[in-house]
Amino acid sequence: MPFNRKAHKFSASIGTVEIGTGDKAIKLGGENVMPFYTFDGSMGDGPKVGVEITDLGLDAEPQGVKDYYAGCTSFADIAKKAEAMPGGDFVVLRLAGGDPNGANKSTEELVAIAKEVSDAISCPLVVEGSKNVEKDAELLPKVAQALEGKNVLLMSAKEENYKAIGAAAALAYNQKVGAESAVDINLAKQLNVVMTQLGVSAQSIVMNTGSAAAGYGFDYTISTFDRVRAAALGQDDKMLQMPIITPVASETWSVKESTAEESDAPEFWGPVEERGIAMEVETAVACLVSASDAVILKHPKSVATISEFIKSLM
Amino acid sequence: MTLLDVIFAGNDAVYGLTEKAIDDAIAKYGEDKAVSFPSTAYSLPCYYAVTGTKVTNLKELKEALGVVKTLMTREPRLHDGFMSGIATALCAEFIEVLKYIDNPTPYEAPCAGHLPDAAIRELGVPLVTGDIPGVPVIIGKAPTAEEGAAIVKEYQAQGQLVTLVGDIIDQCAEQGVKMGANVRVIPLGKDITSVIHVVSVAIRAALIFGNIKPGDAAGLMEYTKQRVPAFVDAFAPLNEVIVACGAGAIALGFPVITNEETFSVPKSLIVQKDVSKFVATSNEARGIKIKITKIDIPVSFGSAFEGEIIRRGDMQVEFDGSRVDCVELVQMKDLSEIEDHKIELIGPDIDEMEVGSKQQIAYVVEVAGKSMQADFEPVFERKFHSYLNCIEGIMHTGQRDMIRLRISKEAYNAGFRLKHIGEVLYAQIKNEFDAVVDKCQVKIYTIPEDCTKIRHEIAVPTFDKRDERLATMTDEKVDVYYSCIMCQAFSPSHVCVVTPERLGLCGAVSWFDAKATHELDPSGPCQVVTKEKPIDERIGEYEDVNEVVKKLSQGALEEVSLYSIMEKPMTSCGCFECICGIEPFSNGVCIANREYAGTTPLGMTFSELASMTGGGVQTPGFMGHGKHFIASKKFMKAEGGIGRIVWMPKELKDQVADALNKTAKELYGIDNFTDMIADETVTTDPEELVAFLTEKGHPALSMDPMM
Amino acid sequence: MALSGIQIFKLTPKKNCKECGCPTCMAFSMKVAQGAKQLSDCPYMSEDALAQLAEATAPPMKTIKVGAGDSEHSLGGETVLYRHEKTFVNKTLYATNLCSCMDDAEIDARLERLPQVDYERIGERMYTEFLNVNYKEGTDAAKYVEIAKKAAAVRPVILSVKDEAVAKAALDAVKDTKPVLNGADASNYEAFCKLAADAGVVLGVSGKDLDELYDTTAALEKLGNKNLILDVTMDTAKATFEAAVQVRRAALKDGDRTFGYPSIVNVNRLTDDKTMQEALVATFTMKYGSIVIVDEMDYAMALPLYGLRQNLFTDPQKPMKVAPGIYPMNGADENSVCLTTVDFALTYFLVSGELERSGVPCNLVISDAGGLSVLTAWAAGKLSATSVATFFQENVESKIKNRTLIIPGKVAVLKGDIEAKLPGWKVIVAPLEAVQLVKFLKDLKANGEI
Repeated sequence: MPFNRKAHKFSASIGTVEIGTGDKAIKLGGENVMPFYTFDGSMGDGPKVGVEITDLGLDAEPQGVKDYYAGCTSFADIAKKAEAMPGGDFVVLRLAGGDPNGANKSTEELVAIAKEVSDAISCPLVVEGSKNVEKDAELLPKVAQALEGKNVLLMSAKEENYKAIGAAAALAYNQKVGAESAVDINLAKQLNVVMTQLGVSAQSIVMNTGSAAAGYGFDYTISTFDRVRAAALGQDDKMLQMPIITPVASETWSVKESTAEESDAPEFWGPVEERGIAMEVETAVACLVSASDAVILKHPKSVATISEFIKSLM
Repeated sequence: MTLLDVIFAGNDAVYGLTEKAIDDAIAKYGEDKAVSFPSTAYSLPCYYAVTGTKVTNLKELKEALGVVKTLMTREPRLHDGFMSGIATALCAEFIEVLKYIDNPTPYEAPCAGHLPDAAIRELGVPLVTGDIPGVPVIIGKAPTAEEGAAIVKEYQAQGQLVTLVGDIIDQCAEQGVKMGANVRVIPLGKDITSVIHVVSVAIRAALIFGNIKPGDAAGLMEYTKQRVPAFVDAFAPLNEVIVACGAGAIALGFPVITNEETFSVPKSLIVQKDVSKFVATSNEARGIKIKITKIDIPVSFGSAFEGEIIRRGDMQVEFDGSRVDCVELVQMKDLSEIEDHKIELIGPDIDEMEVGSKQQIAYVVEVAGKSMQADFEPVFERKFHSYLNCIEGIMHTGQRDMIRLRISKEAYNAGFRLKHIGEVLYAQIKNEFDAVVDKCQVKIYTIPEDCTKIRHEIAVPTFDKRDERLATMTDEKVDVYYSCIMCQAFSPSHVCVVTPERLGLCGAVSWFDAKATHELDPSGPCQVVTKEKPIDERIGEYEDVNEVVKKLSQGALEEVSLYSIMEKPMTSCGCFECICGIEPFSNGVCIANREYAGTTPLGMTFSELASMTGGGVQTPGFMGHGKHFIASKKFMKAEGGIGRIVWMPKELKDQVADALNKTAKELYGIDNFTDMIADETVTTDPEELVAFLTEKGHPALSMDPMM
Repeated sequence: MALSGIQIFKLTPKKNCKECGCPTCMAFSMKVAQGAKQLSDCPYMSEDALAQLAEATAPPMKTIKVGAGDSEHSLGGETVLYRHEKTFVNKTLYATNLCSCMDDAEIDARLERLPQVDYERIGERMYTEFLNVNYKEGTDAAKYVEIAKKAAAVRPVILSVKDEAVAKAALDAVKDTKPVLNGADASNYEAFCKLAADAGVVLGVSGKDLDELYDTTAALEKLGNKNLILDVTMDTAKATFEAAVQVRRAALKDGDRTFGYPSIVNVNRLTDDKTMQEALVATFTMKYGSIVIVDEMDYAMALPLYGLRQNLFTDPQKPMKVAPGIYPMNGADENSVCLTTVDFALTYFLVSGELERSGVPCNLVISDAGGLSVLTAWAAGKLSATSVATFFQENVESKIKNRTLIIPGKVAVLKGDIEAKLPGWKVIVAPLEAVQLVKFLKDLKANGEI
């Protein structure tokens, strides 16, 4: 008597959000099963991998990242090289320098960088803000305006600034908008509800329901993923059916496992770069098998591995 | 002449002018001459949005005028008036577009004329987000240039996007008012027809931000009414053309405020003779609420000061409710009774009080709003404590008429006076409760007789009435309950159903709180639960309640009863104040509260019980609940009610004794019911418990078996 | 369907004899319903009642024990598919690989490196729990036995071997250490069933696909062997992923008890690439591997992996706690400023991360707040002026000379009270969010306030 396979089918599916234009445009979402449960149904076009670059240049990057971009002298060069990274599907420009508590670069300067990057590449672009809610409320609408027609994804609109970013990105300039909430299914849903009430269509919203490095409160990340997907697919909750994008690199490359130089680290920890890659890869995998429709990475080895990983499970 | 006659006359006049202008243009340029506004993808935006048709040349413009004519029906009905208003606006757009033939810049600075799409996208964002709270359209000539400029500056200070038409432009220039899109004052043009350029902004906002399809006139008007906070301030004298344009504005949902003695239409055409009150009247008419970004007080304000303690030696003055009459109160009033942001001190200020003395005070915050309800009064009142403590140099304790307020010498020396208490309460209430509070004023009394009078004749009766209402509220008396999912962060499948007689199991969310939370934040954690489809009244099970619970628990929970502990009991999150659990030998239940560390006759402590009951899982025989629920007539009503309670910790028993005895008297006619209930000083052993209950003749022993 | 405590109680003798260790039959019943007690712990349960309850309370997935003595580990016993439904029971364990194809030097080197990864993280020991000893066909059987012996001396082992004679020889040598005999398949299961039963060890079953795995498992159960582990490793990562999910889901959701066993995933057979192994070991930690075998575990692989596992297997209702104490940051000493917050692990990680970023030397003082977040702890009375003051007086004042204390912005309300209860200390209120700490501390430093 063979094994009686019971497919666990859902009548609902995750929405599809397209970013980018032309041949290289990609679709996020579209699956009607739990991640990689291809034996139950369709995974859509499958999860995608983003390659992160920042406005801060390469100085603070790990050696492998520096090596990959060696010879690049402008943001346009870096962007082109990011687009060419094997395994990447889209480029992510993180405008970390906008943080008023950090480099505090002006909106004009950052918009110019975004424009330079956007003009240099033909693949889809995601622009992440500075994480400062006031600055992003000012910055991201300007980026949306400057990149009109490129169908970029702007991250992130949060509870505090969703109106400015949602209205500018999705309504005024027809871009896509990321809705970021703090690891809680109800907050994620509420943000989607108010964004929709603002007039932003569900097809223009990608969620970031929170991320963390593995070991750093990642339990909340997992449970939020699991529950959001259970509600979206199992309960046909339209306000949770947006695809999920998860920034991984910005979380994993700042924890001590990824930053402590071998000389400062405990015995046997080994080369810092290998630890950083493992942290990035293992965190990304944990996100992908829980819910993420896209992950944002930065190390070439991680990007290649995760891309290969996705292919091997599809 | 009736108002409609004026509108019709104005409309006819403008139509005549438009027809002539188009004919003249055709005569001059030929009918194939192109017409368009610069830098827009929406042709003649108003006409395109209303009809779905793009006009490209004079021939089509003439045809369009024919379409406009069909709107100009002349039945004496409001509808005809509105349509004629729209027709007037469209005619104005036609006249304006003709100005752009062979002349890309018919308007010269400071006048803007037509605004390009890019400007709409840029202005639209702050409009949608509410950063631009309103769009006043000021038409005509103010009685004096000073008054005109004052109005413009006041709107500007509120962040509104002011547009100017006619003589007011020169008046502002004369007064040196800075103008331009960057300072949010945009002069459109001197002719009345130039008003169409702001209408065009509103309409393109609807097309771009509201995704309204061109030709969907009804959807368009709904959008502008709901989402574009524009209104018209029209100075006397009004001619019939202005009135006809005004009808168009009203059709789009924009009220018109004027100082001319004319017809008035409630909510739409409002006469305000005193132009110094134009801003307040206009904002109220359009429902515009101005966010208060800075509280005008001489000391700092922030949560960092919440824990400040002001010692006796450091205080300038103290208001002490335990010694003299002090009270704080929120009262709902009618909108017309309140002048927004009026802060009144009745009696001496701190300067006239002896340093270190004890004084009396009564501060009454009066609020009004279209969606305000008296039930919110205590919700606001409870926030006073935190508001006042956030002021640097102020310490507040207590509530109602048992308050104590200390003001430090430092705060006093920095210039802090009693009116600043009013400023803080005003600003915080307006900001936090803007969903329901449209207007707010504060009265502060410091004369002993006033304080005594307010305390005993107004406040105490109000508190009594509120308590009475709370006490007499029953589940049957209300139409809806509320769900609460505040705890789902750590208890994912738990859903509280809050009813008047069953508050949230945390003890912190009453039906009124849930209701207020819902009204203030409609997409927040508390949602309306109807109870129209009873399944079983005995255990309190409803089809609609089940539906909500299923949805909010993401399917983890399908059925729940409100009044039973044995059948489909409500789940518990983890924050319950108390747990009750079935005690089989006595045929009753034991209750343990969170503070109680010892064991119970069940053989389990509170934390052991908690670990079995929490987590949003139904555990028949066990249930988490709030302390107040113990004395409720709905407490395990399905199993016979509070007569089942056989044991609870002494401290808890003392806390709930009065209320519980009262309920027992009403339900069973038993006096001093709590004397029959055992506690840890009696026993924690099940056999001894039964012996005790038998001795006392506890009703549970003779009730039907629980299992 | 699981029974409720009340249903179980009805079948108990209701005599409150306390012999089961619970004070009342009710308490006992509740614990059985929770899985914390076995029915058999009650000496007076009637045969009838036991029979009635056995079926209903039998877990959908068996708990299998491997290893002996201090090295015994429990596998399986799960009841849910997602951690938010109920706490996972037994965490994923890891094995590294030894093979008869390796030379002695390689074997010794691997065994020497094995104990290097062994550390503590929030109260949990992190190390590789098992060794997988793989037999490559055609290699020397005696050598295999020798490796097995060496391995079993340091860790419980998984004997991955399909050759009956070799398996027997190895078992004879190490059976007392209670290894897993991972070698049964459709072709040899009868013989392996006997081998495992005779040696009293857990038998690992594999199949070329899910159907074969299912049939072989059913056949073994028919032979009376229910002490099994399912090796769900297939030819590809995709097929292995499906097998791991299907096996677990069939057992827990569809009530198919034949698949109600723990699983082994041998990632080492799916890829040679180390980074891809890292990806796959994380995958099968998330998705239902009871034991995952990798080539070798180094710190790079281990640090994120064990963190992930710790997060995944915590009780979702009992937050992780860090130990109370003084945590010096950025080279702080007794003259450095103190900051205090709660022992909720997530709060600790967030705050300590930001403190590290600030570069300002400071002492992070963690007091016992029941593992709750700042506001929750405050609301529950676990973080109060008294609790902070007492902790500082008992544990901090003797060690730290600096007398400035920074408290969380969310409990600014405690400032005055702490100052009153902690004479000699200056209390400063921090911002509301941890991310604002970097600027806050730098500003304080620049202004000479700390």
